[in-house]
Amino acid sequence: MTSRSPFDAELAPVWPRLRRFAYSLARNPADADDLAQMAAEKAFRSFGQYQDGTRFDSWLFRICRTVWIDQMRARSRISAFEAPAEAGDGVGHDPRAATEAAIDLNRAMAAMQRLPQEQREVVALILIDGFGYREAAEILGQPIGTVSSRLVRGRQALLTMLGEGG
Amino acid sequence: MTDDQEFYAWLDGEFVGAEAHRVAVRVAADPALAALAQQHRALGAGLRDAFAPLIDQTPPAPNFGSELIDFQARRDARRPSRLPQWAAIAATLVVGLVVGQLAVSRSDAPIETRGGTMVAATSLDRALDTTLASVAGDGPVRVGLTFRAHDGAICRSFTDQGTSGLACRAGEDWRVDALFAAAHGQGGDYRMAGGDDPRLATLIDERISGEPFDAVAEKAARDRGWR
Repeated sequence: MTSRSPFDAELAPVWPRLRRFAYSLARNPADADDLAQMAAEKAFRSFGQYQDGTRFDSWLFRICRTVWIDQMRARSRISAFEAPAEAGDGVGHDPRAATEAAIDLNRAMAAMQRLPQEQREVVALILIDGFGYREAAEILGQPIGTVSSRLVRGRQALLTMLGEGG
Repeated sequence: MTDDQEFYAWLDGEFVGAEAHRVAVRVAADPALAALAQQHRALGAGLRDAFAPLIDQTPPAPNFGSELIDFQARRDARRPSRLPQWAAIAATLVVGLVVGQLAVSRSDAPIETRGGTMVAATSLDRALDTTLASVAGDGPVRVGLTFRAHDGAICRSFTDQGTSGLACRAGEDWRVDALFAAAHGQGGDYRMAGGDDPRLATLIDERISGEPFDAVAEKAARDRGWR
């Protein structure tokens, strides 16, 4: 192949952000990589429904979120048979949290895992990716006021867990 | 801490012009709020820094424009210890360039993703469950060959909306192991004998243990719930 298909041309510039979004939602890197890959696959299969002129990144992130929610639902059905998740290890009770100079990826992912899902996705879209409130609300299918209040709660919780981080 | 949503929206750059200036003046006049602004700016920067390696060091995007894409094998390759070799082989998923219509995100789509695996749903699931290749059906899904694979599972080839594929029994589901876009000029109403698509025929050759089921064996397998 010497030239990219239309889908590949759209995906390539957004792929690093999609992967970062997946890492901010998923509980570990392996799940995050699967999530990003599955979201891209689903977008590829649904590309006929993408409307030219609309934001491809928003469309792709919306699909990623749908895949993630499906995975969470499936996982919750079997979670009663699993050992408690390791999410949250290393955060929350660490006295160094507020003073440590930088947050590494593992700590950031663990802290995100401790947020309720509806706060995690808002933090991922707005604080980490930089979407505006309106774009985030459209991706999530929620009113801006709901997004705004979830973001406040999420960032307050993160500040408690991680400190200032900088 | 404050629940002041206006403050946070200002912090996130949601306001411009006079509105932004008004909140900025309010924050500047309130040392506690100014300190909180600093804390949250640092938190945001710290989070973005933590996730920055995903942007800076991400491998190239997958290429979906190539003719064949082995999705499941790619995932398995990242987790080599998770599945025995035969399972990785059985899970090979090959998707043609124009899969399009089959796996769209509708509630009635004939293929859905469940736990990272593509499985037959709705009309395709029903057809694979009930249709006998030896009895001409009137639905859009045509079932071709039924056979037992080397791993013991019963597999069935099918065509649906111009796409052909292979599904194998996994528990109560039909796991879709391969999908191929129809070759040019091959309509969805074409009666597939043994995998007209050469890629499908090759895959069946690799999987099949013994001979394809005849009409009697096919019916008996259906009566046993495709065990």
